[in-house]
Amino acid sequence: MRAIIVDDEPPARRELRRLLSEYPWIEIVGECGNIEEAAAKTEALMPGLLFLDIQMPGGSGFDLLSRLEHLPQVIFTTAHDEHAVRAFEVNALDYLLKPIDPARLAASLSRVRKESLAPPPEPRGDAPLQQLFVRDGAQCWFVPLREVRLLTSEGNYVRLSWGARRPLLGRALSTIEQRLDSQRFFRANRRQVINLDFIENVELGINGRLHVQLRDGPEVEISRRQARLFRSQMSI
Amino acid sequence: MSYWICQLSGWGLFTLMKIFATVEAADAPWLSTTVAFVLLHSAGLGFTHALRGFMRRHHWSEAGTWKLVWRGSAASFILAVPLAVANSLSPVSTVDAQGFTPVLALLVHLINWAFLFMVWLTIYFTTITIRRHRAAALRQSEMARALQHAELRLLKSQLNPHFLFNALNTVRALIAEDTTKAQRAVTRLANTLRYTLGAGQHELVSFERELEMVSDFLELEKMRFEDRLTIEREVAPDLGSARIPAMLLQTVVENAIKHGIAELPAGGTLRIRADLQDGALVLEVENPRPLSATRPLSEGTGLRNAEERLRLLFDSRASLELDLSQPAIATTRIRIPQHS
Repeated sequence: MRAIIVDDEPPARRELRRLLSEYPWIEIVGECGNIEEAAAKTEALMPGLLFLDIQMPGGSGFDLLSRLEHLPQVIFTTAHDEHAVRAFEVNALDYLLKPIDPARLAASLSRVRKESLAPPPEPRGDAPLQQLFVRDGAQCWFVPLREVRLLTSEGNYVRLSWGARRPLLGRALSTIEQRLDSQRFFRANRRQVINLDFIENVELGINGRLHVQLRDGPEVEISRRQARLFRSQMSI
Repeated sequence: MSYWICQLSGWGLFTLMKIFATVEAADAPWLSTTVAFVLLHSAGLGFTHALRGFMRRHHWSEAGTWKLVWRGSAASFILAVPLAVANSLSPVSTVDAQGFTPVLALLVHLINWAFLFMVWLTIYFTTITIRRHRAAALRQSEMARALQHAELRLLKSQLNPHFLFNALNTVRALIAEDTTKAQRAVTRLANTLRYTLGAGQHELVSFERELEMVSDFLELEKMRFEDRLTIEREVAPDLGSARIPAMLLQTVVENAIKHGIAELPAGGTLRIRADLQDGALVLEVENPRPLSATRPLSEGTGLRNAEERLRLLFDSRASLELDLSQPAIATTRIRIPQHS
C-alpha cells in the first residue's frame, strides 16, 4: 500500500518513516511539510493511506481533507490535538499520539490492512468516489457515498441527505457528478442526483415525468428528458 | 425557615407541657388553662422574635461573650416584666406561686420568665455560632479548592503540552540518528522543564537566567523545525544583572514561534534584541507572520497574561505592545523598569 507522510517537522517525518520501515507492505511514496504540497502530492500520487499531522503551516490537516478529491484512508498523528480527532461524530478516524508507540502503530496498521483487503481496491484515477470528507460548521464526517440517498445542488454547494443528517459539501454538484458511481447514482433533474439503491417506488406522473419515492427521504421528480434514460437503465 | 420551625416547635411543646402539668397538678379547668397559656406563650414567642430583630439590627452576635451575657440578662428581665404582670393576673397564676402574697408571686413569675428568655437566648446564640463555624469551614475549603485550580491552570499553561510532546518526539527521532544530539536535547528539555516548574507568578529573576532558559528552549525548537527556524540575538553586554519576571521573555518567544514561524511553510528568522534604555530593560522580539487574512490573528492568551503580569508587578511603568504595522512581521516590544 502506498502512503504519504504529512508533517511540518522533519524529525517527526524521519521518525515515522523509521517506524514504518518494519512494514514492508507499506511503501512511502512522499513526504510533505505543508498542506499545499500535500494536496498536490495526494492528487498526483493517489496513495491509499495518509499519515496526517493536525497543526501545520497554512492550514490544518482537516483543511487538507476537505480540499481533496481523492480521499485515501487517514491516520492522524498529533502531539496534543487528539481531542480534535475525537470530536469526529461518525466514522471516528484513527489517530496516533506523538511520540508514537510502536504497539499502537501496529494496531492502527492492522486495521488499515483489514479495510484495504475489503472489496474497494486501491483507487485509481478514474475509479468512482467511495467517500467524501465533509465539514459543516464545527462538525466533520467521512461520508460513505453508498449511504447517501440524495445530493441536492444549492448554488455552489451540495446538500447531502445522509441518514438523519444533511451536511453541506463545499463543492458544486457538477464537479463531483462525473466522479460518482454511475451504477448507483442517477441525475434526476437539474438540481438533484439520487441513489438508486434507495428507491422505494416509482409513480408515473403527468407529462411523462416520474415521481420517485426514496426510502427515509423525500419524493424526487425525474424530469421528462431524464425519464427516458431512467426507464432504459432500470429496464421498465 | 429553620428559625420558625425551632420557634414554633419549641414554644408549642413548652405550652403543651405547661397545660398538662397545670391541669394535672392543680386540677385547673382545661379551657381557661389552655387559653391562658396559649396567649401568654404567644406573647413570649412574639417578644423573642422582636428581640431577635433588635439584636440583629444592633449586631449583638459580634459582641464579646461577657458583653453578651450582660446584655442578654438585662433584656431577659426587661421582657419578663410585662409577662410576669400578665401571668400574675391570669387564672393560671396560682400554679407556680401557690399561697404566696401577690408581690411575691409577681417576683416568682418575673424570675421564671427571665430564666425562660435566658434559655431561649442561649439556644439562639449556640445555634448561630455553630452555623457560622460551619459556613466558615466551607468557605475556607472552597477557597483552597479555587486556589488549587488557579495554580493548576497556571502550571498547565506554562508547561505547554504541545511543545513538550513534540520535543519528546524529536528526541525519539534523534536517539536513532545522533546519540550525542539526543543527549543534548534531553538536557535542554530537563533545564526548560525545571525552570518552568520553579518559576513563580510574581518572581523576578536575572535577565541572564531567563535568557539562558530561552536559549535552551530555542535550541530544542531548532531541532524540531531545522532549516525553518533561524535565530538572531542582539543582546547588549551589560544586561546580566537586569531583573525580569520569570517566564516573560519565554512566553513572548513561544508566541512568536507558535503564531509566526510554525504557521509559515518556509519558516523564517526570529530576532531577539535586548538593551538598557533610560534605566529600563527594553526587549524586542521580531518574527515573520502569515499574511493570510482567512485565519483570525489569535495572538492569544499568552501575551495577554504576560501583559497582565507586568501590570500587576509594575503598574504603568512597564509596557508590552504587539506591533503589527508591518505587513508580514510581528514585533513585540517590552519595557521593564529597573531599580525599583
